[in-house]
Formats: sequence, structure tokens, C-alpha cells
Amino acid sequence: MSSVTLPKSSDTARIAAPQVRNYPRFLLWLLGVATDGGVWFYTWMFVLTAIFLVGANAWAIQVAEGMIVTHMTDHVSWGLYIANFTFAVGVAAGGVMMVIPAYLYHNKKMHDVVIVGELLAIAAIVMCLMFVTADLGRPDRFWHMIPGLGRFNFPLSMLTWDVVVLNGYLLINLHICGYMLYMRYLGQRPNPRWYVPFVMVSVFWAISIHTVTAFLYCGLGGRPFWNSALLAPRFLASAFVSGPAFIIVTLLILKRMLGERISDEPIRLLVNIVRVTMVVNLIMIVSEVFTEFYTGGSHTASARYLFIGLHGHYGLVPWIWTAMVANVAAAVLFLSPLVFRRTSVLVVACGLAFLAAWIEKGMGLIVPGFVPSTLHEIVEYQPSLLEWKVTASVWAFGLMVYTIGLKAAIGVIAQSPQLPDEGPTHD
Amino acid sequence: MSDSQRANGSDPSSASNAEPLLPILGQSGSTRRTMMKGAGLTLGLAAFGKAISPLTAIPENVSVAEFLQQHYKELSSDDKKTILARLEAEAKENYGAEVSISDHRPIPGVKFGYAINLSKCNGNGKCVEACHTENNHDRTTQESYIRVLEMDKGSMDLETANTTYTHTVPQDDKFYMPVQCQQCDNPPCVTVCPVEATWKEEDGIVVVDYNWCIGCRYCEAACPYHARRFNWEAPTVPTDDINPNQSYLSNRIRPQGVVEKCHYCLHRTREGRLPACLEACPTGARVFGDLNDPESEIVWILKNKRVFVLKEDLGTQPSFFYFFDS
Amino acid sequence: MIGSVAKVHWVLLLAVGVLAAAAGTGWAWRNASEGNSTASSDDKVGRLSESFSDRKKRLGESSYSGLERKLRGQRDKFTITIRQPVGPPRVELRAPNSLQRGKPITVACSTCHASRPANFANRTPADLDEFHQDLTFAHGNVTCLSCHNPDNYDTLHLADGSSVEYSDVMTLCAQCHGPQTRDYRHGAHGGMIGYWDLSRGPRTRNNCVDCHDPHAPSFPAMKPTFKPRDRFLNSTIDAKKGHSEVHPHER
Repeated sequence: MSSVTLPKSSDTARIAAPQVRNYPRFLLWLLGVATDGGVWFYTWMFVLTAIFLVGANAWAIQVAEGMIVTHMTDHVSWGLYIANFTFAVGVAAGGVMMVIPAYLYHNKKMHDVVIVGELLAIAAIVMCLMFVTADLGRPDRFWHMIPGLGRFNFPLSMLTWDVVVLNGYLLINLHICGYMLYMRYLGQRPNPRWYVPFVMVSVFWAISIHTVTAFLYCGLGGRPFWNSALLAPRFLASAFVSGPAFIIVTLLILKRMLGERISDEPIRLLVNIVRVTMVVNLIMIVSEVFTEFYTGGSHTASARYLFIGLHGHYGLVPWIWTAMVANVAAAVLFLSPLVFRRTSVLVVACGLAFLAAWIEKGMGLIVPGFVPSTLHEIVEYQPSLLEWKVTASVWAFGLMVYTIGLKAAIGVIAQSPQLPDEGPTHD
Repeated sequence: MSDSQRANGSDPSSASNAEPLLPILGQSGSTRRTMMKGAGLTLGLAAFGKAISPLTAIPENVSVAEFLQQHYKELSSDDKKTILARLEAEAKENYGAEVSISDHRPIPGVKFGYAINLSKCNGNGKCVEACHTENNHDRTTQESYIRVLEMDKGSMDLETANTTYTHTVPQDDKFYMPVQCQQCDNPPCVTVCPVEATWKEEDGIVVVDYNWCIGCRYCEAACPYHARRFNWEAPTVPTDDINPNQSYLSNRIRPQGVVEKCHYCLHRTREGRLPACLEACPTGARVFGDLNDPESEIVWILKNKRVFVLKEDLGTQPSFFYFFDS
Repeated sequence: MIGSVAKVHWVLLLAVGVLAAAAGTGWAWRNASEGNSTASSDDKVGRLSESFSDRKKRLGESSYSGLERKLRGQRDKFTITIRQPVGPPRVELRAPNSLQRGKPITVACSTCHASRPANFANRTPADLDEFHQDLTFAHGNVTCLSCHNPDNYDTLHLADGSSVEYSDVMTLCAQCHGPQTRDYRHGAHGGMIGYWDLSRGPRTRNNCVDCHDPHAPSFPAMKPTFKPRDRFLNSTIDAKKGHSEVHPHER
């Protein structure tokens, strides 16, 4: 577990931990560690805070004046917020692609960095909850959804399932991260009873969050574009592209910052995972597109609108083709051996894959479900500036959570002793 | 765990074995840094407060009583009395209108049905207008629960339909199909609502508690008939245009940020009156009545006309029917 | 390695199983709420309607069957009024110049026709030498005197020659327009206002001639006066489905 150990002279390692022996105090201490950093760290956090504040202001205006300030309509009643929500769920689920090798295959190298995936899941879930809140017309009535206080339409409404699985996933990951770091901090071996069951649960829970999110859409008979059994598998495949892609980039950044202490093996493994999931995702896209276009008829109007335009409306055509080109380019890059030789190629490949999934699960999936509307009227949607502000703000907040989480993890690992029975794993 | 290992290379001043009360303040030994953090936090919080200051408008629009109001089905008759009085006062305050808001309950034993004669309907849109004025819809968007589709004769393909026609009607090669809430017996919109803010009542009308809806718009996505509308902002209705005859679950002026829908004019129909869209129809294409009364007009139509429902394949089981003359 | 592969399979199986169970529960609930609705009036399931026969069965036992019977008994408490034209129509005279101001002078049909013998050769207004020539006539193959009573122009006549008052014009229409009459009798033709429930209030129904001009009965073309102003939909009026705009009737 020691490959992330920092040089003792680094900034974080200088922190001397007092003898914190209870968990809440440990968390407070962790917060202190996580907010210590150099100029770059504070600049980064300052920029994120600034973006977050701009978006918070935009959201406040939206709540006060009504959602008329967005470009959503009764025809396209969900837009950029739900699009990003859907994508963020995928990123959260994608984190599990580190957990499976680490815990189920006992991959030691992955074990060292698995917390990166779990922290990404936490940050992404926080984003999901924020996006849903941003999309509510009456956030002041949020308590109506709290079981016991309000009326929670469980299990009929898939949205209530989503609330359950998202919050559950958040709690599970918070527990796993917190427990592992605390044990590490105390220099004790984690008790398997306190984490193995949760890790196992988190594996299928990760699958369930994205499946349930897909069920939100594919259960609606009135929206043929979503009403496909392939939707949930597609969600998972693209989640297992975008999540690992983001983690790979994170690991590369950490490697740059922390030197050779981050081993290459987890990155290699993740690239190999993305190679498979990317191709699976492409196969499913092709299969979906074939079904739509070969069959034809009015049920495929949304797909036509998305890919080739419908009755003189082409609003989403540039989006989806950007995604398609990025998808294919990323797949080619990932499959080429170059991806292991040149870091820049790997970063570009990850960026393209991430972008492609973002469009494909967002503007390329949520919006065309509404165009044409259920009475086949065509009202196009492009997000308003305010929606972009709120969206950027949520992303900024998510990145803040992620950054602080990583800082805390590195802080703990950097100054904690190695466990005697594990020893260095560098080969 | 060895303390020497942990303290190795760290600032000796803070290497105390005593557990400090506030670990954040006690660690790293740099009071300057701690102060900077404190200042940054204060600044950040102040900026956040400033950023969300538009929210101060909310207490003017949302009273504590409204915030705490329970779900419609959990209200006692005393609660309802208080709430209706409050809503009437709010209408007076915000719209300057003297309105009377009642709470109409279903008539026992009645199940409403509606049918439209597509041979008669000529797409003139009087029903759309009547709905607009009857139900206190937003004047700026000319909102209405009804949309009239101009369809190609010989086709039920909605994709060739048009709702924005402005030419003289009827056109020879077209027929006209008004669509509004179908009051499904298996309503997808009700199933998906996460907070049970919408439900089907005993007389078949699917209603919305406008004071319970959280505005997630899942029902709008689920409805196959484009029957639901969202209040993207607070509706504007001039005082003189407000229909004062209102009901809690129907045409009272809706708050901002909630979903609404056709309720078969329950403030009229539960008093035994005909819906506003029917009375406005100049072609007599609309028929309304009690599906449980074998003598009713609507039952005669179901028995004697070749009737169809819209998007039957979706299994929504509408209480809204279409037919042609012979 | 074999062991861990097996473990993965177990976990995945478990995941699939739980998801299936989850989906199954949702489905079962949905169906339960459909099925139970006939048996229970519980809140959650009551949102789905009871079937007609089941409700009848329940009504027979419950206390409000009496109420319903009472309502049925009161059915005739209020009546349906069919609007009627007031008396025979009066024809506007083309006033000479000196009389242009004020109300136009109208006269009863019999004012002129009492002194003019009926000419059965005239089938349409176009056949006339004077009067009524600008009357639009488009009512199948019938002639003026198919409906107007040559013996008393202030009345109409049926096919068997018997006289009928203008106020009872629907009897005349009904001779030829059987399906419409049948639909009208069952409330499936013609506009109305008032109460659907006659135990609570009256209803007023339109007469044939309220909507149909007897001389040109097909319902007139109209201009749609009210359109919702949906945001972002206006741009589609021209672009979407251009064919409706080039329709010949447009000009």
C-alpha cells in the first residue's frame, strides 16, 4: 500500500498529526490537511470557487424568477441539467471499474489507487444530486420527497428508486473511503468485516445506479427513442468508458505531481478496460442506429432528428456527429499501441472518450427524447446561458469535492506508516 | 504505529501528544496559514451569500403556511377551510381578484368519459380559447390544455400533423383532432410522480395538488399525449379576466414552478355542469357524460359508434374517445 | 485466479438477481394496483378505476345505492330545452332611398306570397325573375317548395303535405337526415350548454337551423382565432410541413 508514499520533504508530509482517536475529529483533521496546499492548489480552488459562485447566482435567479430563464419548454421539458445528471451518474458508476480489479481480482497495484475511483464516485454523486436540485421547479418543497416526512412514491416511481440508489451509493462510498483512510491513519489493518461487504455491495450498487437511471427513461412508453431495452446496457458501457477515462487522467496528473510513486500498472489495466468497454459501446450504438434507421416509421423520428435532421430542423446534428467522431477517434487511439507509449496520446484519447460520452448521454440522449414531442411537434432546444452557468457551477463544485478528497487521501497516505505485513509493492 | 515515524520531518512545535480541541487549528503549526484559511472561508461564504441573494424574493411568494402544508389527502376539512381562505387571500393580494375557491369532490358512482366526433370537428379552436379563459391560464403564452392537430385524411400518422395552422378551416384534405388529457385509467404520469402529487380520483379525473408538486417534470416526460403543462413562471392574468369560480384541484391560479393539466373542468363537472370546452364547441363535436350511467350520451356513443382511443398500443386505457360519423 | 473469477460471477449474478427482483417488484406493484382496484378502495390503488360491473355490485350493498336511486328518480327534475326559431322568418325589404335611415323594414312571407300564385317550375333562386335572387342555395336536389308550404308561406310542409310550423323545423329536417336525427336524439350531434347531470340542472340544445343555414346547410368555413403562443414553436410554422401552406384553399 505504499507506492503513493510521498517524499518526506513534501508540503503535506510536514503536517504532524495529533493523536486523533475518534472519527469525527479525524474528519476535521482531514479537512485541515485537504485545504493545505501550494499556490497552484489555491489558484485552482479559487477558480473553481469563482465558477461555482457565478452558477450559484444563476441558480438563485432561476429559483426566484422561474424556469422561464432556461430554454426548456413544455415540449422539451428536460434539458442540460438532466443531461449532465445522466452523464454524472455514469461517471460515478464508472469508478467501480477500479474496485472490481482491486477487490475481486486482488490486484495489488489497483488496491493502492482504488480510492481515486471511490472519491470520483462521491464527487460525481454530489454533482448528480445538485443537478437534480437545479432541475426542480420547487426546490423549497424538497422535503416532500423525504420518506416519513413527505410522500415517497416508492416503489412505483423510478425516480424514487434513483433517489434511493444514488444516496445509498454516496453513503457506501463515503463509508468505504472514510474507513479505509482512518484505518490507514491509525496504522491498523482494516477489519474486512467493516469494508469487504460494503465493497461487494458497492460493485453491484454501481451497476444499479446506472441501470435505474436508464430505467427512468426506458420505462416511458410514450417516448419511443428511450423505450429500448438496450438503454441500460448502453448506459453501463459508456459509463465504463467515461469513468475510467477520467480516472486515467487523474492518475496521470497525480503521477506528474507525486513522481514515480504512482505505478503505471493501474493505468495500463484501466486502458485495457476502456479498450473493451469502448468497443462494446460502439457496437451497441451501431445496433441501436441500425434498428432505428432500417425500420423507419414515426417511432424513429427522434433518431432521424438527432442524426440527420427532421423537417428542416438540425439542432442536434452537430452535437451527435461530434460525439460520433470523438467516439471513433478515441476508440482508434485507445486500440493503438501508441496509447501506452505517449502520455499525450492517452490524454487526448481519454478526453475524446469523455467528451463523446458526455454528449451521447446528455444532449444526444435526453433532448432528442423530446424532439419531436409526443404529438410530433418539433420544438428545438439549445441551453440558455444561465443553464450553462449553473452546469459549470455544479461541475466546479464536483471538482472541488474531488480535489479535496484526493488531497485528504494523499495527506493520510503520505504521512501514515506502512503496514508491516504488506511491505513495498514496487517491482 | 510509531510516533517517531509520524513526526519525522514535521514541524516539531505541533508534535504534541495531547489531542487538541480543534484539530484544524492545532495542526501544521502555521497560524498564518490558519488565519488565511479563515479569511478565505469568510470571504467565500460572504460571496456565496451575495451570489444567492436573489433567493430573498422567495419569502414574499412562499408563506410559512404554504411551505408546511401537507399533502391534499392528509388535510382535514378544517385544514382545507384554512387553506382555501389563504389561497383566496393570496389571489386578492397577488392578482387583485375576489375569487371563491372550493374543494369539489367526486360525485359518488360517476365515472366521466369524453368523446370527440372527428367528422364534425373543424379545427376552429374555440375549445382551446374556452379552456384558456375558463381555467385562468397564463395570458402571455395563451396557454391551454387543448391542442388541435390538423391531420392528413387517410392517415393517423401524427408526424404529418400540424398544430400551428392559421388558414381557414376545414381544409378539404384534412381532418382535425383535438388532444387534451385523456384521463387514462392506467396513467403513466401518476406512476412516475416521485411524491404522489398527482393521482386519479374515483370519477376518473387525474388531478394535481399544485401545492405539493415539486416541479421535477417527470410526468411531462411520461405523458404520451402532451397533456401536461409546467408553469415556467408565475402566470399573468389581468384582474378583470380572472374566472372567480375556482376549485383547489382545478382552475385556481397556479403557483410558479408546478405542473398542471386538464381536469375535465371538475369545478363545473362535479357540480353536474358540462365542461367549458364542450359548451364552446360550435360544431357540437364534443360529448361528455357518465360512463357508469347506461342511459348517458357517452355510453350510447361507445355502444353505437366505431370508437377509438389515441395510442391504444401504449396500454394507457384513456377515458377519452374519438369517433367518426359512419 | 479461478476462485476470483468464480467470485466475480457470483457477484454479477447477485447484482443481476437483485436488479431483476427490483424490476419485478415494481412490475408486481404496478399490476397489483391494477388488479386490486376492483376489490379495494384503498388510496393507492383507488386511483385506478373500478370496472362497471364491480361498482354496480358494490353499490348494491353500500349505503349510497339508495342515494343513487334517488338521483335516478330525480332525473326528470330538470329538462332539456331545444332552442326554437321564433315564428316564421321575416324578410328584409330593400328600402327605397328615402327610407335608408332607421331599422330596415321587414315583412312576413305571406305579405307577398299570399297574393302570388306558387310557381312549381322554379327550382332554385337562379330561376327567379325578381326577389330572392341573391340567396345562396346549396341544399341537394330539393326545390323551394319541397319545404316551403305553397298553401301558407308562413309555414313549412312535410313530405306528406301536412303543414308544420317554422318553430318545429326539426321535424322537417328529420325526414331526410335520419342518421343525424338519430345521433341528435342520443346527444351525439349538436352543441349544448348547461348540465350533463339533469338531476342537478337543465340543459339547452341547439336547433338544426342554429348551426345549419337551411338554404346552404353545410357548416361554414371558419378562421381559427386562438393559438397558443409556445416559445420557440413559431419558427416551425413555415419550416415544418410546408405542404399545408401551399394548399389551394389558402388563396
